[in-house]
Amino acid sequence: MNTPTTTLGILDAPAQTRETQLFHSADWFAHLRQQGWQRFQTLPMPTREQEKWRFSDTRTLSLEGYAPAPAPSEADVAKLLQRSQLISHPAGLMVHIDGHCVLEPQLSPELAKQGVIFESLEKAVKHHPALLKQHLLQHPVNLGGDKFQALHQAWLRSGYFLYIPTGVHVAQPFVSVQWTLAENSAVFPHALVIADDRAQGQVLDFHFGAQLDSRALAISCCDVHTGQEAKLERLSVQGWGQQTQSFQVDNTCGGRGAKIVAINAALGARRARLENTVRLEGPEANVNLYGITVATDGQEYDQRTLQIHAAPHTKSDLLFKNALLGKSRTIFSGLIKVEPDAQRTDAYQTNRNLILSPEAEADSLPGLEIEANDVKCSHGATTGQVSPEELFYLQARGIPLKVAQELLTQGFLEEVLSKVSHPEACDLLRTLMQEKFHRS
Amino acid sequence: MTPSLEIKNLNASIGERAILKNFSLTIPRGEVHAIMGPNGTGKSTLAKILAGHPDYTVQSGEVFLDGEQILGLEPDVIARQGLFLAFQYPSEIPGVTIANFIRAALVARQAKGAPFDAKAYYAQLYAKMDELKMDRKFTSRFVNEGFSGGEKKRCEILQLAMLKPKYAVLDETDSGLDIDALRIVSEGVNRLRGPDTGFGVITHYQRLLEYIVPDRVHIMWDGRIVHSGGKELALELEAKGYDWVKQELATH
Amino acid sequence: MAEIDEAQAQRDALAIDRSKGDFKYKEDYAFDAGIGLSPTVIDYIAKVKGEDEWIREFRHKALKIFESLPMPTHWATSDLNNINFQEIRYYLAKSQKPSRTWEEVPDDVKQTFERLGIPEAERKFLAGVEAQFDSEASYSRMKEELEKLGVIFCGPNEGLSQHPEIFRKWFGKVIPAGDNKFAALNSAVFSGGSFIYIPKGVKVAQPLQAYFRINAENFGQFERTLIIADEGSEVTYMEGCTAPKFETATLHSAVVELVALKGAKIQYITVQNWSANVFNLVTKRGIAEENAEVRWIDCNIGSRLTMKYPGVVLRGAGARGEVLSIALANDGQHQDTGAKMIHAAHNTTSNIIAKSISVGNGRSTYRGLVQIPKVFQNCRNNTECDALLINEHSRTDTYPAISVRGQKNSVQHEASVSKVSAEQIFYMMQRGLSEGEAMSLAVNGFVNDLVKEFPMEYSVELKRLIELQMEGSVG
Repeated sequence: MNTPTTTLGILDAPAQTRETQLFHSADWFAHLRQQGWQRFQTLPMPTREQEKWRFSDTRTLSLEGYAPAPAPSEADVAKLLQRSQLISHPAGLMVHIDGHCVLEPQLSPELAKQGVIFESLEKAVKHHPALLKQHLLQHPVNLGGDKFQALHQAWLRSGYFLYIPTGVHVAQPFVSVQWTLAENSAVFPHALVIADDRAQGQVLDFHFGAQLDSRALAISCCDVHTGQEAKLERLSVQGWGQQTQSFQVDNTCGGRGAKIVAINAALGARRARLENTVRLEGPEANVNLYGITVATDGQEYDQRTLQIHAAPHTKSDLLFKNALLGKSRTIFSGLIKVEPDAQRTDAYQTNRNLILSPEAEADSLPGLEIEANDVKCSHGATTGQVSPEELFYLQARGIPLKVAQELLTQGFLEEVLSKVSHPEACDLLRTLMQEKFHRS
Repeated sequence: MTPSLEIKNLNASIGERAILKNFSLTIPRGEVHAIMGPNGTGKSTLAKILAGHPDYTVQSGEVFLDGEQILGLEPDVIARQGLFLAFQYPSEIPGVTIANFIRAALVARQAKGAPFDAKAYYAQLYAKMDELKMDRKFTSRFVNEGFSGGEKKRCEILQLAMLKPKYAVLDETDSGLDIDALRIVSEGVNRLRGPDTGFGVITHYQRLLEYIVPDRVHIMWDGRIVHSGGKELALELEAKGYDWVKQELATH
Repeated sequence: MAEIDEAQAQRDALAIDRSKGDFKYKEDYAFDAGIGLSPTVIDYIAKVKGEDEWIREFRHKALKIFESLPMPTHWATSDLNNINFQEIRYYLAKSQKPSRTWEEVPDDVKQTFERLGIPEAERKFLAGVEAQFDSEASYSRMKEELEKLGVIFCGPNEGLSQHPEIFRKWFGKVIPAGDNKFAALNSAVFSGGSFIYIPKGVKVAQPLQAYFRINAENFGQFERTLIIADEGSEVTYMEGCTAPKFETATLHSAVVELVALKGAKIQYITVQNWSANVFNLVTKRGIAEENAEVRWIDCNIGSRLTMKYPGVVLRGAGARGEVLSIALANDGQHQDTGAKMIHAAHNTTSNIIAKSISVGNGRSTYRGLVQIPKVFQNCRNNTECDALLINEHSRTDTYPAISVRGQKNSVQHEASVSKVSAEQIFYMMQRGLSEGEAMSLAVNGFVNDLVKEFPMEYSVELKRLIELQMEGSVG
């Protein structure tokens, strides 16, 4: 066939092979991609009969028609770089457009001297093969997204590697912005974060569509490893275009005494599935997991979480809050798993859904699997409307119904927003949510 | 004629139960009217109905605010027309700060799209808070969440002071207050008294009226006003108790 | 001190009860369908029961469904694979007609039920009793005054042949044969159970009771119950069950259908104390019409594996559904229980309270389903699940599924896992109780608010059973 190569999609083997060659990557990396490709071929597409896909609209799942997009024009790069200046004075800013790295971060000499690494995956594969070989995509997929993770592995190219060495504290956040620009673009953003013993840092991940209604496919993975007593906060903002399908598989490991805060904000995409596994491996590891979602007409947010307590004296706390407008749907499925040796564990999980439209649907599957007895565990799930008494109180002060509803919804989400410790990032997220609420 | 809040022959119920029975009362601007009565006589229902609460059904009657009928209007419309209700049990609004809340209420009273003078707003807010002896940190707390009884009532009076209504109905504002809080709240109300504002002060006890001295006192019984008089009526009621009203009613 | 006296009294009481269900009599049956499952077995059952052709067809169809459905091990425990359907005896009976007086009941069967205290309970506080021994009821009797009011209390065959206008309409409608693999199995080989009809406005003050006893080894009991409470009527039904401890696995798979018509109330109470070799796989569901109420009080103490999720379909406006559940899983036991609430009308409310205790390496699982579709308004559900873990390797799981749409609907689910606090135990031991006694008291305290919902005679029995299970759980 004489068709230009760009029309070959992500499901075509020759395209996958050619991309691997183009990437000039090390053999081990090419092999990793090849393994991913083979695994993708053998795995079936999920169906909602599978417990891990219960309530998901699997009928409209489709990987057809997406292709990796060519490099963006200079004009587009300039425009999107401008829009990527979201946080003043980051420790480093990295920008990708359609999977092409268009801005490598410049770390301060001081950070570089301390051994901090923040560079694109492309470079890291060459510069730090030992660390990457050890950590890249080495987690098992627990929550049902195996096929998507395999495809991510097969097309792995974009993303970043962040390494904070032992004892290094970085006050400013590391910022990564990933854009989709071309129509039907397929992107596979990857993030590998290693905070060594007693290291401290903050990561802000932004995923955006260049246009509000961009149609794209995004399969992202993020692996976080923390050493002993490390402290790490990660905010991930999913703001892909409204016609995008998004799959995100996050894995976080907490070492002894580590403190991790992970916040997932969901605003974009037509359908977005988040699989978030947290494994508390070392005693006294402490993880807080937050989710915040504003779902509007036609959107489905599918959230699957797993809190694995594999060591004693560990603590995890999860809070996912979803506000639903129009004909939208959220699925929260969370499991706390306490392994037999993880005595003296505290594990909590809360899902609160606020339904603002009679067309919306909120599904909740909060689960516990407890195999140790000396534990404090609880979960709660509520689904309801704005309280009529609260609404009346606001109206009695002269605030119109729609404004009152919006205010109450913001109040509902504020509990999670307040967990974003970086003030600019917090304000940005609040603004993005308000804008979305106003558009609906 | 002085503008007034005029309630005419109001009949209302919750579910099947009739609560207001041909209730009539007029509060002219510039006056403070106390509405006294035992528990369960319909005082709080009256307050909620005036503010447009959706749980009550009005069978008949009229309520005029400066001559405009307000019955059946949405609660926020009634509020913007100038009626303020200080709640007996103010709602907790998690996640919404007091500053944002009052600001939203003021913005709702401006012309659409008009700029909001944030500087003037905060200056005024802080001044009123000082008067009510409220810590300025209160502005960033969520509305009524985790407030003590006294803090909630002070927060109601703060809103009253900021929103400057034409008429204010205070529903059992004294309940749950210790003597210091009662004084602060009453002083707050007294500062707002003047020719432009009418007050309806709903209370069970005479105690509050020692601090907020009313122009008129009305005794409510079984859904309507059965006695009206000057401020001395409250003292008489205190001395003789509600049984006196009951006996009076029986002999008439 | 009062606490100690009570504990002593409970201990004394236990000495008698220790082996209450664990005895058996010689097997001696007039009717035996042989070992294994086949269309021939079904024809045999239909023939000895003298069933109408439509019932025989219903059975055959159900067998086909059973064979076509996979074991639900994609979500349930793989222990199910240890059931060998071809090694089970599906029908064993001494006679076809239950006796109306205890005198007529064969001696060994009578002695069985006497040891279980059934005739005594009947005299004391029951409105009617049915006692099933393996496949058929040996004894069935209801107070005469209820008979005069038109109350029907009989077995499925009598119900379907003598009162088809009442029972056929609902039979297999609340739980169709295809509902799940074990409902299909029951539909194919059902025998025994209670068919009850309470006429309009009749309120039966005392409970009706059924007692299910498995006596034979390798046996499967498949009773079928259908209770119809006509408009404005009320009834409480209780069931109890025991079996001796056999070397081999035994299967109990019942189907229970409840129909509460407009304004009716049905309360269904179960105290399940099968021996630890019984697979207890039961489907229970009720329909509640306008302003009706269906209430399941379900207590699972025995069995090797129980899978049971009583449900209510709230089909009429204002209907109420409730499941109160206690599960105790000891060594080698898995109590996989829960509840389903399907809101299918406006203003319906449902409540689920589930408490489980896991002892030794016992495992308790809660599975729940709460569904409120889009078209309905003002529906409410409240669910509370609390699990108590006694030993280091005790296990508990919670898997609720909640799906909500529509306006003014609200759902609240709370679950917690805890253990008995060391301070609590120390406090009681300081007052002179042994650690085991202290633990028993604490566990009884944990379930106390639910036990209170049982009729008095049952709550005493329940506390004893829990006490028994807790013995030797510590140290």
